[in-house]
Amino acid sequence: MSVSVANDMSIFSLVAGASLPVQLVLAVLIITSLFSWWYIFIKVASIKRAETDAEAFEHAFWTGGDLNKLFEGLTADRHKPQGMASIFEAGFKEYARHKQQVRMEVSDVMEGARRAMRATYNRELDELDAHLPFLASVGSVSPYIGLFGTVWGIMNAFRGLSNVAQATLSQVAPGIAEALVATAIGLFAAIPAVVAYNRFASSVDRLSVRYESFMEEFTNILQRKS
Amino acid sequence: MLRQRENKDSFKAGVLSVAVHAVLLIALLISFNWKTTHPVSIAEVELWDSIPNNLAPKPLPPPEPVVKEAPTPEPKPVVEEKPKEDAKVDIALEKKQKELELKKLEQKKAEEDLKKEREKKEQALVQKKQLAVLQEEVNKDKPLKDKKETQKSNDALKKLAQEMLDEDKAQGNQQAIGAKAAANAGVVGEYQNKIRTKIRGNVNKTLCGDGNPELKFDIDLLPTGQLNGNPKLIKSSGNSACDGAVERAIMASEPLPLPSDAALKSQFRNLKLTFRPNDGN
Repeated sequence: MSVSVANDMSIFSLVAGASLPVQLVLAVLIITSLFSWWYIFIKVASIKRAETDAEAFEHAFWTGGDLNKLFEGLTADRHKPQGMASIFEAGFKEYARHKQQVRMEVSDVMEGARRAMRATYNRELDELDAHLPFLASVGSVSPYIGLFGTVWGIMNAFRGLSNVAQATLSQVAPGIAEALVATAIGLFAAIPAVVAYNRFASSVDRLSVRYESFMEEFTNILQRKS
Repeated sequence: MLRQRENKDSFKAGVLSVAVHAVLLIALLISFNWKTTHPVSIAEVELWDSIPNNLAPKPLPPPEPVVKEAPTPEPKPVVEEKPKEDAKVDIALEKKQKELELKKLEQKKAEEDLKKEREKKEQALVQKKQLAVLQEEVNKDKPLKDKKETQKSNDALKKLAQEMLDEDKAQGNQQAIGAKAAANAGVVGEYQNKIRTKIRGNVNKTLCGDGNPELKFDIDLLPTGQLNGNPKLIKSSGNSACDGAVERAIMASEPLPLPSDAALKSQFRNLKLTFRPNDGN
Protein backbone atom coordinates (compact mmCIF):
# COMPACT_ATOMS: atom_id res chain seq x y z
CA MET A 1 0.00 0.00 0.00
CA SER A 2 0.91 3.62 -0.20
CA VAL A 3 2.08 3.68 3.38
CA SER A 4 4.99 1.40 2.65
CA VAL A 5 5.99 3.80 -0.13
CA ALA A 6 5.86 6.68 2.29
CA ASN A 7 8.16 4.73 4.53
CA ASP A 8 11.18 4.58 2.25
CA MET A 9 11.14 8.01 0.66
CA SER A 10 14.84 8.15 -0.01
CA ILE A 11 15.84 10.40 -2.87
CA PHE A 12 16.88 7.41 -4.95
CA SER A 13 13.59 5.60 -4.64
CA LEU A 14 11.80 8.85 -5.44
CA VAL A 15 13.75 9.27 -8.65
CA ALA A 16 13.45 5.61 -9.55
CA GLY A 17 9.71 5.67 -8.97
CA ALA A 18 9.12 8.72 -11.15
CA SER A 19 7.53 8.37 -14.56
CA LEU A 20 9.65 8.43 -17.70
CA PRO A 21 9.07 12.09 -18.71
CA VAL A 22 9.98 13.19 -15.20
CA GLN A 23 13.12 11.08 -15.30
CA LEU A 24 14.03 12.57 -18.68
CA VAL A 25 13.53 16.06 -17.28
CA LEU A 26 15.74 15.18 -14.34
CA ALA A 27 18.44 13.83 -16.64
CA VAL A 28 18.36 16.95 -18.82
CA LEU A 29 18.53 19.20 -15.78
CA ILE A 30 21.44 17.32 -14.23
CA ILE A 31 23.39 17.46 -17.48
CA THR A 32 22.77 21.20 -17.92
CA SER A 33 23.69 21.77 -14.31
CA LEU A 34 26.96 19.89 -14.77
CA PHE A 35 27.75 21.91 -17.88
CA SER A 36 26.85 25.23 -16.33
CA TRP A 37 29.07 24.53 -13.33
CA TRP A 38 31.84 23.46 -15.66
CA TYR A 39 31.58 26.74 -17.57
CA ILE A 40 31.34 28.66 -14.33
CA PHE A 41 34.65 27.26 -13.12
CA ILE A 42 36.29 27.79 -16.50
CA LYS A 43 35.01 31.35 -16.58
CA VAL A 44 36.13 32.07 -13.03
CA ALA A 45 39.64 30.94 -13.94
CA SER A 46 39.83 32.77 -17.27
CA ILE A 47 38.42 36.07 -15.99
CA LYS A 48 40.70 35.97 -13.00
CA ARG A 49 43.64 35.39 -15.28
CA ALA A 50 42.58 38.27 -17.53
CA GLU A 51 42.36 40.59 -14.52
CA THR A 52 45.79 39.66 -13.16
CA ASP A 53 47.26 39.95 -16.66
CA ALA A 54 45.77 43.40 -17.08
CA GLU A 55 47.10 44.39 -13.67
CA ALA A 56 50.60 43.14 -14.47
CA PHE A 57 50.66 44.74 -17.90
CA GLU A 58 49.47 48.11 -16.67
CA HIS A 59 52.18 48.03 -14.05
CA ALA A 60 54.81 47.18 -16.65
CA PHE A 61 53.47 49.77 -19.08
CA TRP A 62 53.37 52.71 -16.71
CA THR A 63 56.69 52.02 -15.02
CA GLY A 64 58.71 50.57 -17.90
CA GLY A 65 59.28 53.78 -19.88
CA ASP A 66 60.62 52.42 -23.15
CA LEU A 67 57.80 51.10 -25.30
CA ASN A 68 60.11 49.41 -27.80
CA LYS A 69 61.59 47.28 -25.06
CA LEU A 70 58.17 46.36 -23.80
CA PHE A 71 57.08 45.40 -27.31
CA GLU A 72 60.16 43.28 -27.89
CA GLY A 73 59.67 41.58 -24.55
CA LEU A 74 56.11 40.69 -25.56
CA THR A 75 56.93 39.39 -29.03
CA ALA A 76 59.95 37.44 -27.78
CA ASP A 77 57.67 35.53 -25.45
CA ARG A 78 56.79 32.05 -26.68
CA HIS A 79 53.01 32.25 -26.55
CA LYS A 80 50.77 34.94 -27.87
CA PRO A 81 50.05 37.86 -25.55
CA GLN A 82 46.51 38.08 -24.18
CA GLY A 83 44.21 40.82 -23.04
CA MET A 84 45.66 44.28 -22.68
CA ALA A 85 49.08 43.12 -23.84
CA SER A 86 47.67 41.91 -27.12
CA ILE A 87 45.93 45.23 -27.68
CA PHE A 88 49.21 47.03 -27.04
CA GLU A 89 51.05 44.67 -29.35
CA ALA A 90 48.60 45.14 -32.21
CA GLY A 91 48.56 48.93 -31.85
CA PHE A 92 52.30 49.29 -31.56
CA LYS A 93 52.99 46.92 -34.45
CA GLU A 94 50.64 48.87 -36.71
CA TYR A 95 52.15 52.16 -35.58
CA ALA A 96 55.70 50.98 -36.23
CA ARG A 97 54.74 49.68 -39.65
CA HIS A 98 53.16 52.98 -40.67
CA LYS A 99 56.05 54.90 -39.18
CA GLN A 100 58.44 53.21 -41.61
CA GLN A 101 56.52 54.62 -44.56
CA VAL A 102 57.86 58.14 -44.54
CA ARG A 103 55.22 59.96 -46.45
CA MET A 104 52.27 59.08 -44.20
CA GLU A 105 50.34 61.73 -42.32
CA VAL A 106 50.33 61.60 -38.54
CA SER A 107 46.54 61.37 -38.39
CA ASP A 108 46.57 58.39 -40.78
CA VAL A 109 49.16 56.58 -38.70
CA MET A 110 47.11 57.17 -35.57
CA GLU A 111 43.96 56.02 -37.34
CA GLY A 112 45.62 52.79 -38.47
CA ALA A 113 46.95 51.99 -35.02
CA ARG A 114 43.56 52.74 -33.53
CA ARG A 115 41.78 50.42 -35.94
CA ALA A 116 44.20 47.60 -35.22
CA MET A 117 43.70 48.06 -31.48
CA ARG A 118 39.91 48.20 -31.91
CA ALA A 119 39.94 44.89 -33.80
CA THR A 120 42.04 43.17 -31.18
CA TYR A 121 39.89 44.65 -28.45
CA ASN A 122 36.76 43.15 -30.05
CA ARG A 123 38.44 39.76 -30.31
CA GLU A 124 39.43 39.91 -26.66
CA LEU A 125 35.96 40.92 -25.61
CA ASP A 126 34.45 38.03 -27.54
CA GLU A 127 36.85 35.73 -25.71
CA LEU A 128 35.72 37.15 -22.38
CA ASP A 129 32.05 36.90 -23.27
CA ALA A 130 32.28 33.22 -24.19
CA HIS A 131 29.73 30.90 -22.48
CA LEU A 132 27.87 33.79 -20.89
CA PRO A 133 24.82 33.26 -23.18
CA PHE A 134 24.74 29.61 -22.14
CA LEU A 135 24.72 30.56 -18.48
CA ALA A 136 21.99 33.11 -19.13
CA SER A 137 19.74 30.59 -20.85
CA VAL A 138 20.33 27.95 -18.17
CA GLY A 139 19.44 30.51 -15.54
CA SER A 140 16.19 31.46 -17.22
CA VAL A 141 15.04 28.18 -18.74
CA SER A 142 15.94 25.44 -16.30
CA PRO A 143 13.31 26.47 -13.70
CA TYR A 144 10.71 26.03 -16.42
CA ILE A 145 12.04 22.62 -17.35
CA GLY A 146 11.92 21.63 -13.70
CA LEU A 147 8.40 23.01 -13.44
CA PHE A 148 7.37 20.98 -16.45
CA GLY A 149 8.64 17.82 -14.77
CA THR A 150 6.81 18.73 -11.59
CA VAL A 151 3.53 19.43 -13.34
CA TRP A 152 3.79 16.16 -15.19
CA GLY A 153 4.53 14.23 -12.02
CA ILE A 154 1.68 15.86 -10.12
CA MET A 155 -0.68 15.13 -12.98
CA ASN A 156 0.26 11.48 -12.68
CA ALA A 157 -0.16 11.54 -8.93
CA PHE A 158 -3.67 12.94 -9.17
CA ARG A 159 -4.63 10.61 -11.97
CA GLY A 160 -3.71 7.70 -9.69
CA LEU A 161 -5.88 9.29 -7.02
CA SER A 162 -8.95 9.25 -9.23
CA ASN A 163 -9.22 5.46 -9.00
CA VAL A 164 -9.61 5.57 -5.23
CA ALA A 165 -12.90 6.27 -3.51
CA GLN A 166 -11.42 7.60 -0.29
CA ALA A 167 -8.62 10.01 -1.12
CA THR A 168 -5.92 10.32 1.51
CA LEU A 169 -2.86 12.49 1.55
CA SER A 170 -0.58 9.49 1.75
CA GLN A 171 -1.73 8.39 -1.68
CA VAL A 172 -0.63 11.60 -3.41
CA ALA A 173 2.26 12.60 -1.18
CA PRO A 174 4.91 10.30 -2.69
CA GLY A 175 3.98 11.32 -6.22
CA ILE A 176 4.15 15.00 -5.37
CA ALA A 177 7.44 14.64 -3.52
CA GLU A 178 8.76 12.78 -6.55
CA ALA A 179 7.60 15.56 -8.83
CA LEU A 180 9.03 18.31 -6.67
CA VAL A 181 12.50 16.80 -7.02
CA ALA A 182 12.38 18.06 -10.61
CA THR A 183 11.73 21.65 -9.49
CA ALA A 184 14.47 21.39 -6.88
CA ILE A 185 17.04 20.30 -9.44
CA GLY A 186 15.86 22.95 -11.88
CA LEU A 187 16.38 25.64 -9.24
CA PHE A 188 19.70 24.15 -8.29
CA ALA A 189 20.83 24.50 -11.88
CA ALA A 190 19.34 27.97 -12.34
CA ILE A 191 20.45 29.85 -9.23
CA PRO A 192 24.23 29.44 -9.62
CA ALA A 193 23.93 30.10 -13.34
CA VAL A 194 22.12 33.41 -12.78
CA VAL A 195 24.49 34.49 -10.02
CA ALA A 196 27.51 33.56 -12.09
CA TYR A 197 26.11 35.26 -15.18
CA ASN A 198 25.61 38.53 -13.36
CA ARG A 199 29.03 38.38 -11.76
CA PHE A 200 30.80 37.53 -15.00
CA ALA A 201 28.87 40.15 -16.95
CA SER A 202 29.95 42.86 -14.55
CA SER A 203 33.55 41.60 -14.53
CA VAL A 204 33.63 41.60 -18.33
CA ASP A 205 32.17 45.12 -18.36
CA ARG A 206 34.84 46.39 -16.02
CA LEU A 207 37.57 44.70 -18.03
CA SER A 208 36.27 46.17 -21.26
CA VAL A 209 36.18 49.65 -19.74
CA ARG A 210 39.73 49.12 -18.58
CA TYR A 211 40.84 48.00 -22.05
CA GLU A 212 39.11 50.93 -23.66
CA SER A 213 40.68 53.52 -21.39
CA PHE A 214 44.05 51.91 -21.98
CA MET A 215 43.47 52.21 -25.70
CA GLU A 216 42.71 55.94 -25.38
CA GLU A 217 45.75 56.56 -23.23
CA PHE A 218 48.02 54.55 -25.48
CA THR A 219 46.72 56.46 -28.51
CA ASN A 220 47.64 59.69 -26.80
CA ILE A 221 51.13 58.43 -26.05
CA LEU A 222 51.62 57.33 -29.64
CA GLN A 223 50.42 60.69 -30.89
CA ARG A 224 52.90 62.46 -28.68
CA LYS A 225 55.67 60.23 -29.98
CA SER A 226 54.99 60.83 -33.64
CA MET B 1 32.37 24.52 -27.50
CA LEU B 2 35.51 25.59 -25.69
CA ARG B 3 37.86 28.39 -26.58
CA GLN B 4 41.43 27.49 -27.23
CA ARG B 5 42.80 29.40 -24.29
CA GLU B 6 40.35 27.71 -21.93
CA ASN B 7 41.63 24.20 -22.59
CA LYS B 8 44.08 24.22 -19.74
CA ASP B 9 41.31 24.99 -17.24
CA SER B 10 38.75 22.61 -18.63
CA PHE B 11 39.82 19.46 -16.80
CA LYS B 12 40.10 21.14 -13.45
CA ALA B 13 36.77 22.86 -13.95
CA GLY B 14 35.09 19.58 -14.91
CA VAL B 15 36.37 17.87 -11.77
CA LEU B 16 35.20 20.80 -9.66
CA SER B 17 31.75 20.78 -11.22
CA VAL B 18 31.32 17.06 -10.57
CA ALA B 19 32.53 17.66 -7.02
CA VAL B 20 29.92 20.38 -6.50
CA HIS B 21 27.16 17.99 -7.52
CA ALA B 22 28.51 15.24 -5.30
CA VAL B 23 28.52 17.66 -2.38
CA LEU B 24 24.94 18.64 -3.12
CA LEU B 25 23.84 15.03 -3.24
CA ILE B 26 25.54 14.26 0.06
CA ALA B 27 24.03 17.35 1.64
CA LEU B 28 20.60 16.25 0.43
CA LEU B 29 21.05 12.79 1.87
CA ILE B 30 22.34 13.99 5.21
CA SER B 31 20.34 17.13 5.93
CA PHE B 32 16.96 15.78 4.90
CA ASN B 33 15.44 13.15 7.08
CA TRP B 34 13.76 11.32 4.25
CA LYS B 35 12.31 8.70 6.55
CA THR B 36 10.07 11.19 8.32
CA THR B 37 6.48 10.08 8.19
CA HIS B 38 3.25 11.04 9.83
CA PRO B 39 2.78 8.96 12.97
CA VAL B 40 -1.03 9.16 13.12
CA SER B 41 -1.90 7.56 9.85
CA ILE B 42 0.88 5.02 10.26
CA ALA B 43 -0.52 3.79 13.54
CA GLU B 44 -3.90 3.49 11.96
CA VAL B 45 -2.66 1.46 9.08
CA GLU B 46 -0.26 -0.80 10.94
CA LEU B 47 -3.21 -2.13 12.83
CA TRP B 48 -4.59 -3.21 9.50
CA ASP B 49 -1.39 -4.60 8.15
CA SER B 50 -1.45 -7.49 10.59
CA ILE B 51 -4.85 -8.64 9.45
CA PRO B 52 -4.28 -10.37 6.15
CA ASN B 53 -1.84 -12.84 7.72
CA ASN B 54 -4.53 -14.24 9.95
CA LEU B 55 -7.27 -13.83 7.47
CA ALA B 56 -5.63 -15.99 4.88
CA PRO B 57 -6.00 -19.37 6.67
CA LYS B 58 -9.74 -19.17 6.82
CA PRO B 59 -10.73 -20.63 3.48
CA LEU B 60 -13.26 -18.21 2.10
CA PRO B 61 -15.39 -19.91 -0.51
CA PRO B 62 -15.75 -17.71 -3.55
CA PRO B 63 -18.51 -15.19 -2.89
CA GLU B 64 -21.90 -15.24 -4.55
CA PRO B 65 -21.12 -13.14 -7.65
CA VAL B 66 -19.43 -16.24 -9.06
CA VAL B 67 -22.60 -18.22 -8.52
CA LYS B 68 -24.71 -15.52 -10.06
CA GLU B 69 -22.66 -14.98 -13.13
CA ALA B 70 -21.80 -18.59 -13.85
CA PRO B 71 -25.02 -19.63 -15.60
CA THR B 72 -25.26 -16.58 -17.87
CA PRO B 73 -21.92 -16.41 -19.68
CA GLU B 74 -21.08 -20.11 -19.95
CA PRO B 75 -23.83 -21.65 -22.06
CA LYS B 76 -23.88 -18.84 -24.58
CA PRO B 77 -20.47 -19.30 -26.18
CA VAL B 78 -20.92 -23.08 -26.29
CA VAL B 79 -24.24 -22.82 -28.03
CA GLU B 80 -23.15 -20.15 -30.44
CA GLU B 81 -19.84 -21.61 -31.45
CA LYS B 82 -20.86 -25.17 -32.00
CA PRO B 83 -22.93 -24.77 -35.15
CA LYS B 84 -20.27 -22.60 -36.74
CA GLU B 85 -17.56 -25.15 -36.17
CA ASP B 86 -19.70 -27.95 -37.46
CA ALA B 87 -20.46 -25.98 -40.51
CA LYS B 88 -16.79 -25.33 -41.18
CA VAL B 89 -15.86 -28.98 -40.78
CA ASP B 90 -18.68 -30.01 -43.01
CA ILE B 91 -17.69 -27.53 -45.64
CA ALA B 92 -14.20 -28.95 -45.61
CA LEU B 93 -15.57 -32.42 -46.00
CA GLU B 94 -17.83 -31.28 -48.74
CA LYS B 95 -14.92 -30.06 -50.81
CA LYS B 96 -13.06 -33.33 -50.42
CA GLN B 97 -15.91 -35.60 -51.21
CA LYS B 98 -17.60 -33.54 -53.90
CA GLU B 99 -16.16 -35.52 -56.76
CA LEU B 100 -16.75 -38.93 -55.25
CA GLU B 101 -19.96 -38.88 -53.26
CA LEU B 102 -22.51 -36.37 -54.30
CA LYS B 103 -25.40 -38.32 -52.92
CA LYS B 104 -23.95 -38.73 -49.49
CA LEU B 105 -23.37 -35.06 -49.37
CA GLU B 106 -26.99 -34.34 -50.00
CA GLN B 107 -27.95 -36.64 -47.17
CA LYS B 108 -25.50 -34.94 -44.91
CA LYS B 109 -26.89 -31.59 -45.78
CA ALA B 110 -30.31 -32.72 -44.83
CA GLU B 111 -28.98 -34.05 -41.53
CA GLU B 112 -27.16 -30.87 -40.93
CA ASP B 113 -30.27 -28.82 -41.41
CA LEU B 114 -32.04 -31.00 -38.94
CA LYS B 115 -29.21 -30.57 -36.47
CA LYS B 116 -29.23 -26.85 -36.85
CA GLU B 117 -32.91 -26.69 -36.26
CA ARG B 118 -32.58 -28.82 -33.15
CA GLU B 119 -29.79 -26.66 -31.85
CA LYS B 120 -31.74 -23.55 -32.50
CA LYS B 121 -34.57 -24.94 -30.48
CA GLU B 122 -32.21 -25.86 -27.66
CA GLN B 123 -30.70 -22.45 -27.72
CA ALA B 124 -34.08 -20.84 -27.49
CA LEU B 125 -34.92 -23.05 -24.52
CA VAL B 126 -31.68 -22.19 -22.73
CA GLN B 127 -32.23 -18.52 -23.34
CA LYS B 128 -35.74 -18.74 -21.99
CA LYS B 129 -34.41 -20.42 -18.86
CA GLN B 130 -31.75 -17.80 -18.45
CA LEU B 131 -34.29 -15.06 -18.77
CA ALA B 132 -36.40 -16.67 -16.11
CA VAL B 133 -33.42 -16.97 -13.76
CA LEU B 134 -32.46 -13.37 -14.39
CA GLN B 135 -35.96 -12.15 -13.73
CA GLU B 136 -36.06 -14.04 -10.47
CA GLU B 137 -32.80 -12.48 -9.42
CA VAL B 138 -33.99 -9.04 -10.35
CA ASN B 139 -37.11 -9.54 -8.28
CA LYS B 140 -35.02 -10.67 -5.35
CA ASP B 141 -32.62 -7.77 -5.61
CA LYS B 142 -35.27 -5.10 -5.74
CA PRO B 143 -36.11 -4.88 -2.04
CA LEU B 144 -32.43 -5.07 -1.19
CA LYS B 145 -31.65 -2.13 -3.44
CA ASP B 146 -34.28 0.01 -1.81
CA LYS B 147 -32.77 -0.64 1.57
CA LYS B 148 -29.32 0.09 0.32
CA GLU B 149 -30.31 3.59 -0.54
CA THR B 150 -31.68 4.30 2.86
CA GLN B 151 -28.70 2.90 4.69
CA LYS B 152 -26.46 5.54 6.17
CA SER B 153 -22.93 5.59 4.88
CA ASN B 154 -20.57 7.97 6.57
CA ASP B 155 -16.98 8.63 5.57
CA ALA B 156 -15.34 6.44 8.17
CA LEU B 157 -17.25 3.41 7.02
CA LYS B 158 -16.37 4.08 3.42
CA LYS B 159 -12.74 4.44 4.29
CA LEU B 160 -12.66 1.19 6.19
CA ALA B 161 -14.37 -0.54 3.32
CA GLN B 162 -11.79 0.84 0.92
CA GLU B 163 -8.95 -0.42 3.03
CA MET B 164 -10.56 -3.79 3.33
CA LEU B 165 -10.83 -3.99 -0.43
CA ASP B 166 -7.20 -3.08 -0.84
CA GLU B 167 -6.15 -5.70 1.62
CA ASP B 168 -8.31 -8.33 0.09
CA LYS B 169 -6.37 -7.76 -3.11
CA ALA B 170 -3.06 -8.05 -1.32
CA GLN B 171 -4.26 -11.08 0.53
CA GLY B 172 -3.43 -13.41 -2.34
CA ASN B 173 0.30 -13.08 -1.72
CA GLN B 174 0.20 -13.96 1.93
CA GLN B 175 0.53 -17.53 3.01
CA ALA B 176 -1.59 -19.26 5.54
CA ILE B 177 -0.71 -19.45 9.17
CA GLY B 178 -2.98 -22.28 10.10
CA ALA B 179 -2.11 -23.07 13.71
CA LYS B 180 -3.20 -19.75 15.10
CA ALA B 181 -6.55 -19.96 13.38
CA ALA B 182 -7.22 -23.37 14.92
CA ALA B 183 -6.45 -22.02 18.38
CA ASN B 184 -8.85 -19.17 17.84
CA ALA B 185 -11.68 -21.34 16.61
CA GLY B 186 -13.24 -21.62 20.07
CA VAL B 187 -13.39 -17.89 20.55
CA VAL B 188 -14.80 -17.48 17.06
CA GLY B 189 -17.60 -19.90 17.84
CA GLU B 190 -18.39 -18.09 21.04
CA TYR B 191 -18.75 -14.77 19.29
CA GLN B 192 -20.80 -16.32 16.50
CA ASN B 193 -23.21 -17.46 19.16
CA LYS B 194 -23.26 -13.99 20.67
CA ILE B 195 -24.07 -12.52 17.28
CA ARG B 196 -26.89 -15.05 16.80
CA THR B 197 -28.34 -14.26 20.19
CA LYS B 198 -28.31 -10.57 19.53
CA ILE B 199 -29.98 -11.00 16.13
CA ARG B 200 -32.53 -13.42 17.52
CA GLY B 201 -33.64 -10.77 19.98
CA ASN B 202 -34.59 -8.53 17.09
CA VAL B 203 -36.41 -11.06 14.91
CA ASN B 204 -40.15 -10.77 14.64
CA LYS B 205 -40.80 -14.47 15.18
CA THR B 206 -44.43 -14.43 14.24
CA LEU B 207 -43.40 -13.96 10.62
CA CYS B 208 -41.45 -17.20 10.57
CA GLY B 209 -44.31 -19.48 11.51
CA ASP B 210 -44.23 -22.53 13.74
CA GLY B 211 -41.67 -24.76 12.05
CA ASN B 212 -37.93 -24.65 12.39
CA PRO B 213 -36.79 -22.87 9.22
CA GLU B 214 -33.09 -22.44 8.59
CA LEU B 215 -31.57 -19.45 6.84
CA LYS B 216 -28.06 -18.73 5.71
CA PHE B 217 -26.76 -15.19 5.46
CA ASP B 218 -23.49 -13.86 4.14
CA ILE B 219 -22.56 -10.82 6.22
CA ASP B 220 -19.67 -8.46 5.58
CA LEU B 221 -18.59 -6.79 8.79
CA LEU B 222 -16.38 -3.80 9.50
CA PRO B 223 -14.02 -4.06 12.45
CA THR B 224 -16.33 -1.72 14.36
CA GLY B 225 -19.07 -4.37 14.26
CA GLN B 226 -21.08 -2.46 11.70
CA LEU B 227 -22.33 -3.97 8.49
CA ASN B 228 -20.46 -3.38 5.29
CA GLY B 229 -23.20 -3.40 2.72
CA ASN B 230 -26.35 -5.46 3.12
CA PRO B 231 -26.49 -9.03 4.38
CA LYS B 232 -26.91 -11.43 1.50
CA LEU B 233 -29.31 -14.28 1.67
CA ILE B 234 -27.63 -17.52 0.64
CA LYS B 235 -30.20 -20.03 1.73
CA SER B 236 -33.79 -18.98 2.06
CA SER B 237 -36.17 -20.40 4.62
CA GLY B 238 -38.77 -20.71 1.89
CA ASN B 239 -40.80 -17.98 3.42
CA SER B 240 -39.97 -14.55 2.05
CA ALA B 241 -41.60 -12.78 5.00
CA CYS B 242 -39.36 -14.74 7.37
CA ASP B 243 -36.28 -13.95 5.25
CA GLY B 244 -37.12 -10.26 5.35
CA ALA B 245 -37.68 -10.35 9.08
CA VAL B 246 -34.29 -11.93 9.74
CA GLU B 247 -32.58 -9.52 7.42
CA ARG B 248 -34.13 -6.55 9.18
CA ALA B 249 -33.11 -8.08 12.50
CA ILE B 250 -29.50 -8.34 11.37
CA MET B 251 -29.51 -4.71 10.34
CA ALA B 252 -31.17 -3.68 13.58
CA SER B 253 -28.51 -5.51 15.60
CA GLU B 254 -25.75 -3.15 14.57
CA PRO B 255 -23.13 -3.06 15.97
CA LEU B 256 -22.66 -6.78 16.25
CA PRO B 257 -20.47 -8.05 19.09
CA LEU B 258 -16.93 -8.73 17.95
CA PRO B 259 -13.79 -9.90 19.77
CA SER B 260 -11.43 -7.10 20.69
CA ASP B 261 -8.43 -8.89 19.20
CA ALA B 262 -7.71 -7.51 15.73
CA ALA B 263 -6.55 -10.89 14.47
CA LEU B 264 -9.84 -12.48 15.44
CA LYS B 265 -11.84 -9.64 14.01
CA SER B 266 -10.57 -10.52 10.61
CA GLN B 267 -12.37 -13.85 10.82
CA PHE B 268 -15.64 -12.00 11.08
CA ARG B 269 -15.05 -9.78 8.14
CA ASN B 270 -16.89 -12.14 5.86
CA LEU B 271 -19.25 -14.10 8.03
CA LYS B 272 -21.47 -16.96 6.91
CA LEU B 273 -24.16 -17.12 9.50
CA THR B 274 -26.56 -20.06 9.76
CA PHE B 275 -29.61 -18.92 11.60
CA ARG B 276 -32.69 -20.64 13.02
CA PRO B 277 -35.10 -18.01 14.29
CA ASN B 278 -37.21 -20.52 16.23
CA ASP B 279 -34.36 -22.49 17.74
CA GLY B 280 -34.20 -21.83 21.45
CA ASN B 281 -30.47 -22.16 22.02
